[in-house]
Amino acid sequence: MLKNYFKIAIRNLWKNKGFTFINIAGLAIGLACFIVIALYVKDELSYDRFYPNAERVYRVDADIKFGGNQLNLTVSSDPMGATLKKDYPQVEEYTRVYASEGGKLVRKGNDYINEDKIVYADSTFFNIFPQKIISGETKTALYEPNTVVISETTAKKYFSTTDAAGKTLEIDKKPFKVTAVIKDMPHNSHFHFDFIMSMKNVDYGWNNYLSHNFHTYILLKPGTDYHAFEKNFEQVLDKYVLPQAKQMMTGLTSMDDFRKSGNYLNYSLMPLTKIHLYSHRFPELEANGNIQYVYIFSAVALFILLIACINFMNLSTARSVNRAKEVGIRKVLGTGKGNLVAQFLSESTLMAFVSMLLALVLTYFTLPVFNKIAAKSMDTGIFWTSSFLPILIMLPFIVGLLAGLYPAFFLSKFKPISVLKGKINAGFKKSTLRSGLVVFQFFTSIVLIIGTVIVYKQLHFIQTTNLGFSKNQVLMIDGTGALNKNDEAFKNTVLGLPGVESGTMSGFLPVTSSRSDNTYSKDAVMDPKNALSMQSWVVDYDYINTLGMQIIKGRNFSKDFGTDSTAVILNETAAKVLGYDDPIGKKLYQDYQDQNGTRRIVYTIIGIVKDFHFESLRQNIFPLGLKLGHNNTMMSFKIAATDLKPLISQIQNKWKALAPGMPFSYRFMDDAFDNMYRAEQRVEQVSITFAVLAILIACLGLFGLVTYMAEQRTKEIGVRKVLGASVPNLVTMLSKDFLKLVLIASLIAFPVAWWVMHQWLQDFAYRIRIDWWVFILAGLIALLIALATVSFQAIKAALANPVESLRTE
Amino acid sequence: MIELKGIYKWVNTGNHRTFLLKDVDLSVKEGEFISIMGPSGSGKSTLLNVIGMLDAFDEGEYNFLHESVHKLKEKQRSSLYKQYIGFVFQAYHLIDELTVYENIETPLIYQNIKTSERKAMVADILDRFQIVGKKDLFPTQLSGGQQQLVGIARALIANPKLLLADEPTGNLNSKQGEEIMRLFKQLNDEGMTIIQVTHSEKNASYGSHIINLLDGMIQDN
Repeated sequence: MLKNYFKIAIRNLWKNKGFTFINIAGLAIGLACFIVIALYVKDELSYDRFYPNAERVYRVDADIKFGGNQLNLTVSSDPMGATLKKDYPQVEEYTRVYASEGGKLVRKGNDYINEDKIVYADSTFFNIFPQKIISGETKTALYEPNTVVISETTAKKYFSTTDAAGKTLEIDKKPFKVTAVIKDMPHNSHFHFDFIMSMKNVDYGWNNYLSHNFHTYILLKPGTDYHAFEKNFEQVLDKYVLPQAKQMMTGLTSMDDFRKSGNYLNYSLMPLTKIHLYSHRFPELEANGNIQYVYIFSAVALFILLIACINFMNLSTARSVNRAKEVGIRKVLGTGKGNLVAQFLSESTLMAFVSMLLALVLTYFTLPVFNKIAAKSMDTGIFWTSSFLPILIMLPFIVGLLAGLYPAFFLSKFKPISVLKGKINAGFKKSTLRSGLVVFQFFTSIVLIIGTVIVYKQLHFIQTTNLGFSKNQVLMIDGTGALNKNDEAFKNTVLGLPGVESGTMSGFLPVTSSRSDNTYSKDAVMDPKNALSMQSWVVDYDYINTLGMQIIKGRNFSKDFGTDSTAVILNETAAKVLGYDDPIGKKLYQDYQDQNGTRRIVYTIIGIVKDFHFESLRQNIFPLGLKLGHNNTMMSFKIAATDLKPLISQIQNKWKALAPGMPFSYRFMDDAFDNMYRAEQRVEQVSITFAVLAILIACLGLFGLVTYMAEQRTKEIGVRKVLGASVPNLVTMLSKDFLKLVLIASLIAFPVAWWVMHQWLQDFAYRIRIDWWVFILAGLIALLIALATVSFQAIKAALANPVESLRTE
Repeated sequence: MIELKGIYKWVNTGNHRTFLLKDVDLSVKEGEFISIMGPSGSGKSTLLNVIGMLDAFDEGEYNFLHESVHKLKEKQRSSLYKQYIGFVFQAYHLIDELTVYENIETPLIYQNIKTSERKAMVADILDRFQIVGKKDLFPTQLSGGQQQLVGIARALIANPKLLLADEPTGNLNSKQGEEIMRLFKQLNDEGMTIIQVTHSEKNASYGSHIINLLDGMIQDN
């Protein structure tokens, strides 16, 4: 019986090659999309789960609002981990990662290489995040100062062997003993370190509960409810944080008092397995994913698969008239309804299987492309794992059933007598279900088009919006600290080169990097109400000019004033927090501690700089102060030349002379700026790809439907032609119904797309308005594509010679 | 009115050429009622389609109302037959999805006639054919004779000068057939030029003269 079904199925499919092709191609593309996205989603969900105790590991996060500044941090204070372990038996272990120092120079032979995946960690790091060891051991690896654990890649790079334990590396001019070599961390870890140095080497004002600089992870004992555990932070605040805060702010009496003044300091736990998708804090060790995109892409995968299934249903029912005679004869011969359903289902399942095979081939070839777009490193090996293989086998059955069920019942319902008498003629026009399905397909396509356009517009907005500084033609040279005393000489030599307009020496630039905040006070006595928490950047005289910033009140730093070492220029936001009508000349007080006890510096506000975006446009502009000083970690030059290659090689030559052996690395500020929006650019590319595919599949289906409809109406077209209908008349007639469906689809798609994209834009503090014309444009695109698809067949049908179709049998 | 001179039409099958029409000369004057007869495959319908400009020919000259059809472009030809020619088919070829009224109205739509004018013209012809009561029915609800009546009404709605009928009674019983032929006779008496293809001697006798076709050639009477 089954053999018979398949035999008939294969013959039937072969007979209608065109339809079979459209069906299989559409389904295969749909399935391929589905598989690729399934791989992506699975990968995104797998982050950090491979650590053996992943379910019990939590990061201590801090939310702070103080002095007009609001921060959601991934870091907490240095004693936090130890305090939690000491006071609470639920805490089995803790470890800290210190990543605030950024890149370091590592010596290789006579050269120095700038390494940035370099951190300090407690010796307990490997208890919580066990790594695969290649040589040495990790148990006591970081116990002693001047020890370092390196990755396999690093070992090969510096020692040309993985057996590097016991050897010595020179990091920032200090010798470190390599105590272990570990395998490179898996790609689905939320951090990837090449160098892990002993925490004992960190030079820090220890035991400070008020400074937040350490990524702190704790391992809770099995069965501990972490939400319940979070309540303990209140005790920690009262017992440890408050006493230190009182020292700094004499007016402070209790945490409640602190909160009443509109400030807060809250700690919470972030489960390790959620960090990659849910943590949007600062500073992350690496750029994270976003659960929103996982949802969006999952939905897109399902919708594309549905569109492909719908093609199948539509084409099958549309073809039903041709199959009707077969059904009639079978019924007369005594075939039951169940048998017919089984027959049609085996046909659809067969087709789904063929599509699946094709989809796997497609996936195999397109995965590298997708990997590139989505910055992933997935491979098709996962197909054969026990978690994926069952899905691959089940999918064609599900799809075959889903796509075949309706046509199967539709066809097997025919009454044999009327079918054989040729009275089934309602094959085409009257199917509201079919219309509904076409509407659904175009609804999905239009939503995707609108989404793509809005993502594009937002990215364009980011790139063209007035940032308050000029990022174009700015050359940034990293690691200029290596020049030491030659820094001014280097700066002046570069300034002397033709094509260089101006230059500045400062580690602080308006592209994302790690920085910290300091607290200032309006009055001589600090209390929570008069505090101002802001970043302070050390800059030089040429900073504001070189970066094209604008002083809107007061003046820039100037060599003509001898007192500028205690001068500060605020941005507008900081000025607003202070609330002065005229802030120029007002004082700011800063207290800080060193070996000699508390010291105080009094700053004078000399100018207000127009707000500029120094973080990504996802965030609001926070208070910022510019101070005059010497910081030679980076230099930036405003370039007028258009031919950059010779200029850069000239600069490099000067570098070699003044900083022999040190790595020369440069970037352009606009590139660095674009890097902040990689995630969005990926989303843009992925959504363009899927929008195109969705439309392609939908059009494939539409093409099939129109072909079929034209075939169905050949006679009518012939008659109308003889009655004087022109080709445009006929094309209009054939296209009108479909275009109506596309219009309906647009009307449903508009509000849905608006809502989805409105949600997406909420991620950006600075965002575009959603213009009405985007919707009209998307509708028009869908309409034009549908029209092109439909009219091809419609014109063909309309041009046919009526004599052929009207010939009486 | 119609002048055919040396009309040839053929199809090539492999390197063999089959003639559908061979050296056909024919002239039809206004007001004539011509019956084309001949066995199956003799080229009757082909000839009718050529006259009706639905089908092209390969050689020869065709003048219709002093227009050289063989020199016209597709568009002009179609506007010519839209204006002057009405067709009646053996299988009626009514559009199933349209009512009687809408079927008859269709040619007028394609000639860009205004709605109000169309209404008057359709009402007029419904009245003349006494099918006013059936105007809202669909073709499947009518008998064969009634369907053909609608078909003829549709052919005449735009006031053509020439009516082409391809076996108009082929699907009808003898009584219905006779009614249709009588209608044709009456139309001819009112001045309509008619060319019909028929198998039946009896139907042919309604016409003013008969053309016999065999293997695409006109036989001498």
